[in-house]
Amino acid sequence: MDLEILIENVLNAITAGITIGCIYGLMCIGLGLIFGIMRIVNFAQGELLMLGMFASFYLVTGGKVLSFLGPYWGPFVGAICAGPLIFAGGALLHKFLISRVSGLRTAGSLDEGHYGQLIVTLGISLILQNGGQILFGSTPVAVRTPLSAEAYLVGPVYGAATVFLNKAKLIAFFVAILVAIVLYLTLEYTRLGKALRAAADNPTAATYMGIEVDTAYRIAFGLGAGITAIAGGLMATYISFGPFVGFDYVIIMYSGVVLGGMGSILGAFWGGLTVGFVQQFSALILPPQLQNAAIFVVFLMIVLLRPQGLFGRSAERA
Amino acid sequence: MRQGTGPQLRRNLTALAVVSVAYLMFTIFVTNSYYQLILTMVPVWALFGVSWNILSGYGGQLSFGHASFFGIGAYTVTLTVVYWGLSPWLGILLGMILGGLAAIAIGTPTFRLRGHYFALSMLAYPLAILYVLQYLGFQEISIPMHRGNPVAFMEFSEPRVYTLIAVCLLVGGVLVSLVVESSRFGLALLAIRQNELAAEAAGINTRQWKMRSLVVSGMLAAVAGGFYARVLLVVTPDSVFGMLVSAQAVVVTLFGGVASVWGPLIGAAILVPLAETLQAELGTYLPGIQGVVYGVAIIGIMLLSPDGLFWTVRDRWFRQKTAAPVPDLMPMSPPARPVSAHAGAPLLKVENLSRAFGGLKAVSEVSFSIAEGEILGIIGPNGAGKTTLFNVLNGVLSPDEGSARLAGQQMLGRKTFEVCRMGVGRTFQVVRSFPRLPVLDNVIVGAYGAGLSDRDAIASAVRALHQVGLQDESGVAAGQLTNKQLRLMELARALAGNPRLLLLDETLAGLGREECDGVLKVLARLREQGMTICIIEHTMHAMMRLADRFVVLDHGRVLATGLPRAVVEDTSVIEAYLGKKWLARQNA
Amino acid sequence: MLEVKDLSVAYGGLRALTNVTLSVAEGRFVTLVGPNGAGKSTLFKTISGVVPPVSGTITFRGENLLSRRASDRAHVGIAHVPEGRQVFKTLTVRENLEMGAYPKTGRAQWTQTLDRIQTLFPILAERAGQLAGTLSGGEQQMLAIGRGLAGAPRLLMLDEPSMGLAPSVADMIFDRISQIHREDGLTILLVEQRVAEALERSDHGYVLETGHIVLEGPYETLLNDDRVRRSYLGLTEA
Repeated sequence: MDLEILIENVLNAITAGITIGCIYGLMCIGLGLIFGIMRIVNFAQGELLMLGMFASFYLVTGGKVLSFLGPYWGPFVGAICAGPLIFAGGALLHKFLISRVSGLRTAGSLDEGHYGQLIVTLGISLILQNGGQILFGSTPVAVRTPLSAEAYLVGPVYGAATVFLNKAKLIAFFVAILVAIVLYLTLEYTRLGKALRAAADNPTAATYMGIEVDTAYRIAFGLGAGITAIAGGLMATYISFGPFVGFDYVIIMYSGVVLGGMGSILGAFWGGLTVGFVQQFSALILPPQLQNAAIFVVFLMIVLLRPQGLFGRSAERA
Repeated sequence: MRQGTGPQLRRNLTALAVVSVAYLMFTIFVTNSYYQLILTMVPVWALFGVSWNILSGYGGQLSFGHASFFGIGAYTVTLTVVYWGLSPWLGILLGMILGGLAAIAIGTPTFRLRGHYFALSMLAYPLAILYVLQYLGFQEISIPMHRGNPVAFMEFSEPRVYTLIAVCLLVGGVLVSLVVESSRFGLALLAIRQNELAAEAAGINTRQWKMRSLVVSGMLAAVAGGFYARVLLVVTPDSVFGMLVSAQAVVVTLFGGVASVWGPLIGAAILVPLAETLQAELGTYLPGIQGVVYGVAIIGIMLLSPDGLFWTVRDRWFRQKTAAPVPDLMPMSPPARPVSAHAGAPLLKVENLSRAFGGLKAVSEVSFSIAEGEILGIIGPNGAGKTTLFNVLNGVLSPDEGSARLAGQQMLGRKTFEVCRMGVGRTFQVVRSFPRLPVLDNVIVGAYGAGLSDRDAIASAVRALHQVGLQDESGVAAGQLTNKQLRLMELARALAGNPRLLLLDETLAGLGREECDGVLKVLARLREQGMTICIIEHTMHAMMRLADRFVVLDHGRVLATGLPRAVVEDTSVIEAYLGKKWLARQNA
Repeated sequence: MLEVKDLSVAYGGLRALTNVTLSVAEGRFVTLVGPNGAGKSTLFKTISGVVPPVSGTITFRGENLLSRRASDRAHVGIAHVPEGRQVFKTLTVRENLEMGAYPKTGRAQWTQTLDRIQTLFPILAERAGQLAGTLSGGEQQMLAIGRGLAGAPRLLMLDEPSMGLAPSVADMIFDRISQIHREDGLTILLVEQRVAEALERSDHGYVLETGHIVLEGPYETLLNDDRVRRSYLGLTEA
């Protein structure tokens, strides 16, 4: 019956929206740390996501470092391990490139250094994408786990309508929430987290307190990179990807962070969740290629109509 | 055409002719068909860079999505040949028109954004188009051969003809760029790029100029894209709407030199052959080497020479030793000031003006008036709301309540550039100049803003320079001026718009004693010529000598108004500056 | 404790300070007054390391301060309560104080210090969980001072604590500052526009005008010197 099919589709879209949405939420937290809190425009965030995917891939499948964990634990541990690796990469990027166009150096200028940041991170994005193509090849790969083909069945819920909970996505969902909670607790309650927030809030005053602002920004940038990388590693368990995958997700990330309101980690999470939801629901009516176009339309509408997001402060408007 | 740009324009045109001819001669010696293709591609990408340069180089509106227009040009040519049998000569023309229309469609909503939001949003358009095209199934389209009528379909057996066409198109684009650069269009764009707010305050309708630059840019980009499609014969959505295409415009121009006619050409001439050759030689082991090269190029340029190669080379080796020739114009006498309809009535009347931020009242029920030909000093302790007051008068901020009338006409609630056209000139605390342009060009922006014709603008600017005493420096690059001269230049810019009222914000801040005296003399002379001035200052001893009256603000409220000597003896003023206890002690 | 000798500072071509010499002995309360634009905040910024000097020296407890990075200076015991308060608006009151205690000296005595701060400024205990950006001007000033004290510093520098505050609130702030000096024996360097309030509580005063020290002396001398008023109100002849 049509109604059953409709209900089944809607329920599955809801569950997919929540699971994938939370993974997007984690991804957006990473950008939220960099863009929302430090106000650094990072065009290469999508490539950090991609690096997370490949890091996880090489740890688990390609290089078999974690293969001793088996195909059930391996991919998810691999995703988490991608975090520190890309954290280090992000910190290095910041030290040598990003710090030259951000932080105290550009704090007073008219555009807060955004021009330089946009250009430098565009360059980084080009290098990472194409360098990735050289290193990894362009054949799509995935982190193989049998879980991505298995699902829990809930129901029948209405008539024959059943909800399929893909196992890989479900576990990725839980890991994403876990990581998000750990990060939130770290930022809120540890001395390091508070120092990071203070340095982003007011770098001059933070210096007066004895906080080394350059280091704080470096750590925050690395964290932002690492968190997004973990999200990438999680996504790697249920999608296949190549070196140019990051690009599809840049607009999703910016949409999520802007929608959630700048300066708010929680906001970035909710924003990512919302965008994920919208995307999964649009799959009910739109074919795959247009889903991404729909996200762009959503992004444009957000920045034009409500740039302060749902939770945030004001943004740059004419 | 701007004063003084004549000789430079002639030089540029000559150089353009020489370079084009040399390039074409060079193609005679190249026989390998792959390299011939590169030789054709260089001008195409250079033209694309030129188009980007107009919006994002001169205008400073960074766009990461110029592939929209490039792709529109490409697909217009391709689809019209395939489905309508339309000649690519006409197809390119049609593409150009569509590019312009697309620019209007894209610009209208997107120009409401600025900075990084603008750049990111511009990114969204070509990608949305790309996805839609992929969905519609336009995966790959080829342009068929037309053996019957080859020339009409731009088919030539001799590949060098394509290079010739490409160079002609590029020359056309460069000519457009030259015209823009040497006219008020270019100056308006530079002013917007440097400080949009100050440009508005100088009377420039920034929205209009940005839109114009986008339309010109879009049209040129579409031409480049259209010809590109014709040469390559095959288009896919990704090859003309993709990220790398957008990036190429950015990289080529940034590398070569933003906001200069030659920048995109230099960038394309260096990077395109380099990337293509590397791709051809090493593409099998290192696919994507092209992208890496571009990435390294712009990071390198941004860190080492942010304005691009052209400027770095020019600044280091071709520094102007002598100032450019000064226009030989006699200064006109100041324009006859229109006799006020209400003789004796105040020129500016502010009543009950208030403006709050959140809960904090920055300006609170402020009322005062200025008579024509008077110098009014606005003073008060730090944080008293003085600059906020100017921002409200100027149209930068809207008032919460109150009114302000200039010669009877309501000032508030208008856009900043409209306030300027009413006759209000404003200077800002931080002086931003065009360091590489001569003083005259810096000043003439104010005249353009007031809507004067080219000839009148020059005369007005020269007069303004005489009024501040900088007439001998009119050909000097602004980057070489001293602090005091910069302040005077800023003043001249405001004067060039022929204002009735000058709002000066801390013109004397940080100047030494003699420099201060020099500026004071200029201001006093202006008053003699009938100018009305309202000046915010902290340098009290200077204000005592200059101002006719004071208005003292404290915590956003008017504390006292009157003659300077009287005001400084006023107990509430002393209390505001020095504290209540001081006063108590003195009186004890 | 703090010795500034012949300090000259320039910002982008503008001379902010010229040959400034002043000293703050241990346990004393020294005030620096002067009109707007005199360069008072610049002095603090230079001491804190955010602005580099052109020439001159700064010695703190016998050690050359200029050789230390900006973020190290809090760790040697200099607390800077900045102009305009500059609290961390997106952090809570409690977190702001914790940030003040970032240096090791602060952390070691945290419990006692926190206690002391909350006794001086009870409102900070009341509003401990509130975001600092939502506090009133006076409350933010108290928080900024508390934050300065949290590091258990040897020298407390306060930059125009009365700015933007209603007179009665400003008076209360000055009372507290005097109290801190009296009861804790803390060395204080205060910069102010409100001349009498500042000078009468201090041991020694300096008057700064356009980057130069033009007067100095114990407070009774300065309070009775009309040159101070004329300096502020631009009535001095060149």
